[in-house]
Amino acid sequence: MLKWVGVTVAVLIVAVVIGLSVMAGGLRGAYGMVRYALPHMHRGTLRVGDHAPDASLLALDGSSRFNIRERTGAKPLVIVFGSYT
Amino acid sequence: MVQIYQDYKDHVDFLTVYVREAHPTDEWQMKSNVKEDVCYAQPKTLEQRVAIANDFVKRFNYPTQFGIDDMSNAANDAYAAWPERIYIIEQGRIAYRGGMGPFNYHPEEARTWLAARYGEVKHEASTATPETKRN
Repeated sequence: MLKWVGVTVAVLIVAVVIGLSVMAGGLRGAYGMVRYALPHMHRGTLRVGDHAPDASLLALDGSSRFNIRERTGAKPLVIVFGSYT
Repeated sequence: MVQIYQDYKDHVDFLTVYVREAHPTDEWQMKSNVKEDVCYAQPKTLEQRVAIANDFVKRFNYPTQFGIDDMSNAANDAYAAWPERIYIIEQGRIAYRGGMGPFNYHPEEARTWLAARYGEVKHEASTATPETKRN
């Protein structure tokens, strides 16, 4: 019985590694995804209809600040989150 | 996103928010980043974030309003934004919530929302600018 549990776990681990490698473009990518990406990826709890959270942001000049709420006026606001890399 | 901005900037406002890097050199760097010469370490200070954000805006002549998340990642946490995500806010509420990138990052969904509200903007095949994943 223990032997089959071990075999099953091993097969599952191999399947997960292969799956992540395919998604991430290789073993190194799979490691990067597990080590650096997954801990920061959260589905979140916001839903359509929820109040939009506010947050303070720094402007490109590096000194002035504004809040997301300040930019939500009469028009809808499209917010795009992302980074350079 | 730039094409969507160009098509709907008269109807809606756009704000791009820089959050922590997705593929910095000291974490999970991608070959494509090296190929495109987009190689940055994960910023450890807000000044470093500002510098990278400015590099991005200058390189792509990026046209939208731009904000930079604090090192506390407050905006990122509030919107579960990393690595990339799109929302549309209307009258203080979430009107559209895009999927979490990269696999569920679909700017065309935001375009569909905008088109339903303000009408579809069509482009000639020869002049259309492909939507890019990059912000």
